[in-house]
Amino acid sequence: MANASAIARESILLRITRANARGRRVPSAKIPPQAIFPPIHDVRARFLHESAGNLMEVFETADLSESATALESVLRSLPAGEIYVQDHPDLACFLADLKRSRPVRLSSQGAIAENSQAALTLAHAFVAQSGSILSSSMCGGRGASIVPPCHIVYGRAEQIVPEIDDALALAQRQVPEASYIGLISGSSRTADIEKILVQGAHGPRRLVVILEGQDPDFAVSRNRVNTVESAETFD
Amino acid sequence: MSTAAQEFLQQAEIKASDLEHRALIQRGMASYESAFDKGRARFADWEAARARLSQIKEEALASLGQNLVEFEKRIVERGGQVHWAETAEQANDYVVELARARGVKTVVKSKSMVTEEIHLAPALEKAGVTVWETDLGEFIVQLRQERPYHIVTPAMHLSRYQIAELFREKLGENVEDADPAKLVAAARVALRKAFFSAEMGISGANFLVADTGMVALSTNEGNGRLTTSIPPIHVVVTGIEKVIPRLSDLAVFWPMLATSGTGQPITTYSTLVRGPRTKKENDGPREFHVVLVDNGRTGLLGNAETQEVLKCIRCGACLNICPIFRHVGGHTYGAIYPGPIGSIFTPRTAGLREWGHLSYACSLCNACKGVCPVKIDLPKQLLLARRDFVATANVKPAERAGFAGFRWATASARRFRWIGWLGGKVASTVRSIGLSGTSFDPTRAWTKYRAPIEFPRQTFRAWWRSNGKR
Repeated sequence: MANASAIARESILLRITRANARGRRVPSAKIPPQAIFPPIHDVRARFLHESAGNLMEVFETADLSESATALESVLRSLPAGEIYVQDHPDLACFLADLKRSRPVRLSSQGAIAENSQAALTLAHAFVAQSGSILSSSMCGGRGASIVPPCHIVYGRAEQIVPEIDDALALAQRQVPEASYIGLISGSSRTADIEKILVQGAHGPRRLVVILEGQDPDFAVSRNRVNTVESAETFD
Repeated sequence: MSTAAQEFLQQAEIKASDLEHRALIQRGMASYESAFDKGRARFADWEAARARLSQIKEEALASLGQNLVEFEKRIVERGGQVHWAETAEQANDYVVELARARGVKTVVKSKSMVTEEIHLAPALEKAGVTVWETDLGEFIVQLRQERPYHIVTPAMHLSRYQIAELFREKLGENVEDADPAKLVAAARVALRKAFFSAEMGISGANFLVADTGMVALSTNEGNGRLTTSIPPIHVVVTGIEKVIPRLSDLAVFWPMLATSGTGQPITTYSTLVRGPRTKKENDGPREFHVVLVDNGRTGLLGNAETQEVLKCIRCGACLNICPIFRHVGGHTYGAIYPGPIGSIFTPRTAGLREWGHLSYACSLCNACKGVCPVKIDLPKQLLLARRDFVATANVKPAERAGFAGFRWATASARRFRWIGWLGGKVASTVRSIGLSGTSFDPTRAWTKYRAPIEFPRQTFRAWWRSNGKR
């Protein structure tokens, strides 16, 4: 099989070289991306507007205690059962309260269970342009953001970047090791039946963001890194 | 005429007069159109966005070889495997052999037109592997043993009632009132089991990113995410033309693909994967394979006239706007890729002789050219396909003679005037002696479904002589 692939590779590349040798110019894209999308003046307002359009639930909180209250109210609305939490110092403050109400499984203990009721993770950034969350396998694994019926993301307002372009650059810089990176823009959905929108197709029915901090002035320049610094080896 | 051409004509006749089908498609397309208009309004300059995508795709094709080699290098660096396939069989053989070697019994698939094109699922099933399509629309057409009706919304030809009936029959689920939310929930339950028991996940790719070695996948349902996260083996099967030079290019491709495909600002799960799980990660597949399929694509690249067809990002916008697609429906084409792009891609890659007739499934209205996000000149490509079809296929002697006569008649102004006068006389005589609608009537094909043509008393030339010079 490996040999068949090598032969195919050679002949495909040869045909491509021949095709492109026939007087092909090599143009490069000249239209600047800036001309394409309208400028974003207030990243926080835009993020809130777009995420609402994406049917996300956003809790704006001023400080840690407000965030804990918001988290508690979300969890109260969920059926009993295990919650999966990304093992990260920034989420450790919630653990004691969580453990009192339901079983908790940490990402350092393995992958998310199929019957988890919710996952609580961080994000690398939030994107104003599209109301998205920039996540990766570093945020509690691949399954955390897709397996449970509810995904809760805790982050800070200064993590909002203006455009998708900024999010892609940030991902390239900050998570070069992740095998999965994703821009998540709302809950799982489908319109495959008569073009009628239904939430909760295969992934979470609910995507909740707890957005802490009120100061939008730092939004462009400061982005926190949320990698699992003390990650264990799971393999 | 090839069998496929005869079937096209028969099916088109049936579908064009199927009022239920027409109502369903019109409703679906109206909802797409309003979302598409809203989506376009979010751009500061939609035309600049189209121009940029077109330029990036041209650049990508001009350096296709380098881009593929760079993509391969980065995938291999991270522990993935890249397999090259010249033909559909080679690609299928590789995946089937891999499944056999790893003892795979169940495969979950996310939506991929390339796997449809190469008939991967039947090849796996023949080898005893159970294949689950996990995109809801694909799952529905799989249960019905049908081809996808549309490249983005495979089951748009079915009503919720038909789907409820199908689920009752095949899944044993009784869904009350054919409620779409309950239908989705029933499919979710059935497919969850498949996701967590499958040993292999197979996906396509919307883009391959050369500079970072990533596979970009857009899905709304999240089935693409589960397919690439849960099973221990992930296989990507995709066409070589999907590679783009830079990760940053996605900042325009993602919004354009979503807006052109469904009118959304961005697809819910815009996903990038680039290898098996790392030692630091607690889940994800342990094996990662990418199968790069040619299957006729280098042939398109090798012809300067047809090269632009490879710019296509499979958004479906040309299908949605096409008046022929809306009338005859996606299945009538008889090919994997329906609509304008399919009527070019299929004859060019699967054979002009058998599929060239599809290039006539076009009224040359140019609507598709206006919406294509990568600015493919689809009407021109359809005309080029017609030209080459006539040159290669066995055209009937009567047709050949007819066109020779037409050329002779139109080559001189005097002859054209005379033939036009004669034609008008013949048609009105036929009608006046009561032969309308019979095989003597030259307007029969037109009047079969339409009111008879009123011939003006005066020819245009005569009118121009008396009025035009004022």
